[in-house]
Amino acid sequence: MAKLTTFSIGGVHPDDSKIARGCAIEVLPLPSTVYISMAQHLGAPAKPVVAVGDKVKTGTVIAEPGGFISAFVHSSVSGTVKSIGPRKDIAGNPVTHVEITVEGDEWEESIDRSDTLVTAIPEDRAAILDRIKACGVVGLGGATFPTHVKLNPAPGSKAECLILNGAECEPYLTSDYRIMLERSREIVVGAAIMQAVLGGCRCVIGIEENKPEAIAAMDAAVLSLGYPGIEVLPLKKKYPQGGEKQLIDAVMHRQVGSGALPISVGAVVQNVATALAVYEAVQKNKPLITNTLTVTGDCLPVERQHNYLFRIGMPLSFIAEQAGGVPEAAAKLVSGGPMMGKAIANLDATTVKGSSSILYLSEAATKRGKESYCIRCGRCADACPMGLEPFLLRRLYVAGDLEGLEKEAVQDCIECGCCLYSCPAYIPLLDQIRMAKGQVMGVIRARAAAAKAAAEAAKAAKQ
Amino acid sequence: MDKHLVSPNPHIHAAVSTESLMRDVIIALLPAIIVSVLFYGWGELLILAVSALSCVLFEWAIAKFLFKDTALFCCPAALVTGLLLAMNLPVSTPWWIVVLGALFAIGVVKMSFGGIGQNVFNPAIAARVFLLVSFPQQMTHWTAPAGFIHSVDAFSGATLLGQVPVLGALEADKLVSLQTLLYNIGGSAGEISALALLVGWAYLLIRRVIKPWITLSIFATVAVVAGIFHLADPTLYTGPLFNLLTGGVILGACFMATDYVTSPMSTWGGVIYGVGIGFLLMMIRYFGSYPEGVSFAILLMNMTVPLLNRWFHGKKYGRA
Repeated sequence: MAKLTTFSIGGVHPDDSKIARGCAIEVLPLPSTVYISMAQHLGAPAKPVVAVGDKVKTGTVIAEPGGFISAFVHSSVSGTVKSIGPRKDIAGNPVTHVEITVEGDEWEESIDRSDTLVTAIPEDRAAILDRIKACGVVGLGGATFPTHVKLNPAPGSKAECLILNGAECEPYLTSDYRIMLERSREIVVGAAIMQAVLGGCRCVIGIEENKPEAIAAMDAAVLSLGYPGIEVLPLKKKYPQGGEKQLIDAVMHRQVGSGALPISVGAVVQNVATALAVYEAVQKNKPLITNTLTVTGDCLPVERQHNYLFRIGMPLSFIAEQAGGVPEAAAKLVSGGPMMGKAIANLDATTVKGSSSILYLSEAATKRGKESYCIRCGRCADACPMGLEPFLLRRLYVAGDLEGLEKEAVQDCIECGCCLYSCPAYIPLLDQIRMAKGQVMGVIRARAAAAKAAAEAAKAAKQ
Repeated sequence: MDKHLVSPNPHIHAAVSTESLMRDVIIALLPAIIVSVLFYGWGELLILAVSALSCVLFEWAIAKFLFKDTALFCCPAALVTGLLLAMNLPVSTPWWIVVLGALFAIGVVKMSFGGIGQNVFNPAIAARVFLLVSFPQQMTHWTAPAGFIHSVDAFSGATLLGQVPVLGALEADKLVSLQTLLYNIGGSAGEISALALLVGWAYLLIRRVIKPWITLSIFATVAVVAGIFHLADPTLYTGPLFNLLTGGVILGACFMATDYVTSPMSTWGGVIYGVGIGFLLMMIRYFGSYPEGVSFAILLMNMTVPLLNRWFHGKKYGRA
């Protein structure tokens, strides 16, 4: 077997703990009420277009984009709008939600709910993009960046390679794995659609070697559908392979410059779940109202682990109850993977488009050791997939040296957590680097704004 | 919900701690320690115990009573210093000299710079050199082993390196054989068995406690420098194998030069550091007034570490 490829700098090897890999995707029953967040994508929050008392169907638009980088939001159930107002998200911060009381399950007639695989790809590129936008598709790999924006690169830039991210490098998570097994053909059609939108570039589906069944299923789907220029590329298991910049390095052996977009090296990266959403949007006219989520954890018996197809807007607590409640031994609840996910401060918070898991971690799995002193072992620098030196960034942060931090590229940090994961002294490296990054990004933005203002003033003076 | 933790990512850890890393170093030292006790007997065991216990005691006391911060006390790290110091001493060293060495290592070299992670010099080596210049007689008094294994060719009085001026390079070179790899009597107790030290080094590599580059660059530099001089004049200069297997090269390269705190963080910095140690130690051996130069070479290169850390960095993603 040929040597597997992976990204070239840093990375760590946490145990993959894919305990829920054998659990087929189950459809959850409907709750009595759903709460649909207006801020479930990167960019400006969506603006509600429904009023209290309105009747909505499954798939009805309930909010429109609030800016260029924003997305449509649809009702995931049929029923009546009960309220529109602030509600706490998983961190406990108030966000505008549309509360809908569920009545039956009546879908918009325009949505094709059949299982028939539609393989013919529409000709009109603009129409495809419109459909993706109208269906509220956002990136489901974590960042929830509006997909229609990403698939429409600025004039002058050309996509050479569409990379489909099937790495699922986070431990525990198995939702991408399950859809690659169960929905492989739809994902490949979705990839072919995005290929067409991008003007016929090649497409590489990157999957880590610890998912051989997914590699085989995707390979078979690619072969049977016969779209040109799509291949499956097994990757060596290493975290954070699914990071956009790392995946581009692994697949294309190119590195994206600091502050630049992937398209600058000819790459567009989309998650496999996003490809599925694109398929459903373009071929079935189905908005992004469902997604797959894993209920898992080290303190949850395997028979209580699930991969669920959920309606967006179902409260996390409802899903947790469906899976038998929060296990007694859980010390920490996480939404997302154990490396980059967010701790759940409020289980009553609702699911959003990008929800990927409810992860129950035991105290033994999640406990941070007592912080001690740096022994200069260099493990953080070895682990950093951006080639940064976390120990140094932390020292500069403590010293308040913003200039030094910028020179040492703190703004390039992708917050993957490898540094703190590796630190034998349990120094809160990422916690401090994240704050340093925030400060330096502020300085960079202020400088850019000042430069822009100066340029405009000069232009005005000339006229 | 109140009983659940809420804190930023990452939510899991590699489960490696300073203590576990230092425990691995102690485990890696065990083969060489066992061999030294087998050859030198109870006396060696006493030196190891006195050194290790005094280092632990001094570090604990200074952290608790002077710094009033027990987080500065890392028992396995102090044990490593204590064991390495003992391994660098002749078996005949009086116990009070050992205690003095431990006090210097922990009190002066480590804690006065701020404790764990802050010291510029390797504590065990600095203490050995301190003892060497303070008590030259006791520190170069090599006794015949009185251990549980009796070696027929054991001799007293001088180490292999010490024989060079007496016998000449040609004859000294002949003293090195395959047996030297297994055990080599004379010198510091910890240096007896190159093989035992290398087994420990391999353990550290397998456990990913250290990376091999510093050690390999020292070995390579010693071999190249000795090779060149030996080719130029074999009657004056001993050869590569002699220089690799005698004295403290293996102990120093595997366990002392690879100390996290006092070695560079980047791979290339480490290679330069290793080359520097290898070159300096050979210069001291060939041209210095001491027969052995590993300790001095490491201490001298310790001083360059801040500069090497400033000059050499790993490659950053997406930046030239």
